[in-house]
Amino acid sequence: MDMTHDDVSTVDVPDAVATRPERSARSGRGPIIVAQTGVIILALLVWWCASAMLPAGIVPGPLDTFGTLVALTTTVPFWGAVAETVWSFGVSLVLCIVIGVPLGLAIGSSRIATQSTRLVFDFLRTIPPIAILPLVLLVFGPTFEMVVVVVALGAIWPILIQAVYAAGQGEALLKDMAASFRIPRAWYVTRIFLPGALPFVMTGVRVGTTVCLLLTITAELLGGAPGVGAEIAEAQVALDNPQMYAYVMVAAILGLLVNLGFWAVQRRLLHWHASNRTGTAS
Amino acid sequence: MSIMGSPQTDSPVGSSEASILAADGLGHSYRERDVLAGIDFDVRAGEFVCLVGPSGVGKTTLLRCLSGLQRSSSGEVRFRGARMTEPLPGIALVFQDYSRSLLPWSSVAANVELPLRAGGVKRAEARAEALRALALVGLDDAVARMYPWQLSGGMQQRVAIARALASRPSLLLMDEPFASVDAYTRADLEDLMRRLQRELSLTVLLVTHDIDEAVYLSDRVIALNGRPAAVADIVKVRLGAERDQVETKSTPAFADLRARVHDLIRGSRGMAS
Amino acid sequence: MRTIRSHWLGPVALEMWLPLVLVATWWFVSAGSTSVYFPPLSSIFASFARDWLNPAQLDRNLLPSLQLIGAGYALAVVSGIVCGVLLGLVDTLEQATRPLLEVLRAIPGVALLPIFIVLFGIDAQMKVLLIAFGSFWPVLLNTVDGVRGVEPLLRDVSRVFRVGPWRRLAQIILPGASPQIFAGARTALAISLIIMVVAETVGGNGGIGYFLLNAQRSFAISSMWGAILALGILGYLLNILFRIVERSVLRWHRLQQSRLESSR
Repeated sequence: MDMTHDDVSTVDVPDAVATRPERSARSGRGPIIVAQTGVIILALLVWWCASAMLPAGIVPGPLDTFGTLVALTTTVPFWGAVAETVWSFGVSLVLCIVIGVPLGLAIGSSRIATQSTRLVFDFLRTIPPIAILPLVLLVFGPTFEMVVVVVALGAIWPILIQAVYAAGQGEALLKDMAASFRIPRAWYVTRIFLPGALPFVMTGVRVGTTVCLLLTITAELLGGAPGVGAEIAEAQVALDNPQMYAYVMVAAILGLLVNLGFWAVQRRLLHWHASNRTGTAS
Repeated sequence: MSIMGSPQTDSPVGSSEASILAADGLGHSYRERDVLAGIDFDVRAGEFVCLVGPSGVGKTTLLRCLSGLQRSSSGEVRFRGARMTEPLPGIALVFQDYSRSLLPWSSVAANVELPLRAGGVKRAEARAEALRALALVGLDDAVARMYPWQLSGGMQQRVAIARALASRPSLLLMDEPFASVDAYTRADLEDLMRRLQRELSLTVLLVTHDIDEAVYLSDRVIALNGRPAAVADIVKVRLGAERDQVETKSTPAFADLRARVHDLIRGSRGMAS
Repeated sequence: MRTIRSHWLGPVALEMWLPLVLVATWWFVSAGSTSVYFPPLSSIFASFARDWLNPAQLDRNLLPSLQLIGAGYALAVVSGIVCGVLLGLVDTLEQATRPLLEVLRAIPGVALLPIFIVLFGIDAQMKVLLIAFGSFWPVLLNTVDGVRGVEPLLRDVSRVFRVGPWRRLAQIILPGASPQIFAGARTALAISLIIMVVAETVGGNGGIGYFLLNAQRSFAISSMWGAILALGILGYLLNILFRIVERSVLRWHRLQQSRLESSR
C-alpha cells in the first residue's frame, strides 16, 4: 500500500504516469509495522476519548462502531447495499472506460479534433457532478440508472481528457521506426501505439476510478438510490449513529479495496514500464 | 592579477601548516566491504591537485568524505587543521552532474548567489558578487538572467563553477566536472580552470578518471588504485606554469608523466616521485 | 502539441467552432420543447439572466458560496502543504502514518456530512471544515510526493554550501515540490466545489447549492438548469483563476518541460 495521489494535470499538461514513490531499501520491516500499528492504536484511542467525552451518543466509540459493523455483516440487507454500490460503481466505471478511452485516443490522434474539443471538455469537466444530480434525480428517480448517469457524467472527464493527452505522447521515434520498417497501420496501432499510450491512460483511469466510487456513494447518499450511501443517509435520519458510522467505515474500506485492486491491475498491465521496474517496497 | 583576492594562508608553502586539506589514514567501508583504505595525502595552499583512478575505484566516495558530506569509517580529514565531520565553510564543490545540481526554478544569477545568501550576505552585495563570479567564467549579464536549463552543458558547468567561486572558498573540490561534456568544451573548461586557479591563487582538488586531464591540469597527481582503493603514488608534475592543449600534450615530458600515472593506476607500482 | 500561431484567428476559430455549434444545436433542437425536464434553451438563458446576472441576487446566491469555498479551500491548501512538507521530510513519520492516512482519505467527504452536522451543527463553520477536510487529502498526498521527489542531489548541494533549513525549505524544497503541489491543489479545488454544493443543501444559508436544491424542490426546472449553468461557469472561472496563478508560479517548469519535449 502506498500514498497514491489523485492528479491529472500539472500546468495544463497532465502528469506522465502514476508512479509509486521510491523507497530506499529498508533493513527491517519490524519497527515500521510496530510504528504503523502504534499510530492506528493512537488514532483509535483519540476516537474513543472523543466519544466518551462528548454528550452521550453523539459520537459512537470505536468498539460500538466495529460491533455494529460486524453485526451488520451477518445481515442480508448489508450485503445487498454493498452489492448495489459495487455494481453501480462497476457499471459506471466500465462505461466511462469503454467510451472515454477509445474516444479520447481517437481525438488525441488528430490535432484538429484536440483543439476543437478543448474548450468544450474544459468547461464540462469543471461542472461539479453534484450539479446535475437534482435533474437526473427528477428524470430517473432514486434508482440505479440515476446513479450510473450521474457517476458516468462526472467520472468520464479525467479518463477522457487523459486519453486525449496519452495519444499525443507516442514516442515519435517509434513512429519513425514503424514507418521505416513499413509496418502495417493496424499492427502499429495495436502493438506500438496502444501499449505506449497505456501508462498515460492508466493515470486517468486511476483518477476516474477514485472519482467513480466517490460519486457512486455521493449519488446514493443524496439521491436515495439503494446502496451504501443510502444506508448512511437512512441511518442519519433514524438517528442511528453507530449504524451511520459503520456504513461510513464500509465506504472507506471499499475505497481502500478499489485502490489496492487498481494497483494490482496496473502492475500486471504495466510490468514492463520503468516505474514498476525499480524495486517497489511495500 | 587577482580579481577576487586570495584565500587565507599564513604559512609558507611546503610546511605542513600550509595544508589546506589533509587526509590521514582515511578508510571507508560500505556494507561490510572496504572501499577505501589508508588514504594519506595533503593539498597545500595554492596547489592544483588531481585525484585520478579507474572508474568504480571509489573516487566519488573519497570526495564525499573530503567534502564533509560523508563521515569516513576510519581515519580523518582535516581542513585547515580542523577535523572535518560535516561540510565546513570555505569549501566549495562542483558536482559532476551540473544540470541536476543547479536549481531549475532560479535564474543563473540566483543560483550563483545561493551560497552567499545562505551565508548571510545581503541581497544587493550577493548579486554583485555573483555577477562578478559569472564574469570570471566568461558569462555575461544576459546569461545571468536566464534559467540554467536554457544553457548548453558547458555553460551550465561554468555556472556551477561560478557558484563555487562566488563565496571565495579556501578549497575548491571538483567531482569529475568535465566528464559529461564534449571534447571541445572539455578543453575550454580545463584551460579556464588553469587560468582561474592561477589568477585567483585557488587551491583546487579535482577528481577525474581521465589521465591526460589530470596530468595537464595539476601540480601533483595522486594516483589511486586497488581494491580497497589506496594511494598508489603521488606524482609531481613539472610541466611549467604556461600550458597549452596541443603543445604541452605533445611533449615527451607529458608522455612520460602520462605513462607513469597510467602504470600506477593499472597496478604496476611506479617509483616514488 | 504545438500549433503554429502564424495567424491568431485560425487557432481561436478552431477552439470556438464546436462549442458554438453545440450551443446552437441545443437551442434549435429544444426551441419548441414541451418536455418538463428539458425546457427550451431560451428559457434556461432567461432564468440564468434573472437569477445570476442580477447584482441583488448575486449577493444572496453567490457570495455565501464564494466565502465558503474560499475559506475551506484556503484552509485545506495551507494545512495540506504544511503537513505534506512535514511528512515528506520525515520519512519515518510518513511511513508510520501511511495506513491511517490511507483509511482516512478513502472516506468520501460527502459521507461525512451527517457526522459533521451532528458534531458541528449546520452553520458556516461546519461547512468550511467539511470542505477543508475533504480537500485536504489530495494536497497532502501530492505535497508528500512532491517533497520526496525533489532532486536528491540538491540535498548535497545545500549541505556543501551550508544552506540553512529555512532557506532550504523556501528555495529548494517548496519550489522543487511545487509542480506536484499544484496538481494536488487543482484536484482539491474540484473537491471543494462538490462539497460546497452539498453542504449548502442544509442549513439554508443561501448559496448556489441551496438555490439548486430549492429549485428542484419547487419544480422550477428552468431555474434548476440555470443554477447548473451557473455552477459550471463558477467552476470554470475558478479553474481559470487557478491556472493563471499556476502559469505564473510554475513558469519555469512549463518552459523547462517544453524544452525537454522539443529536444526529444
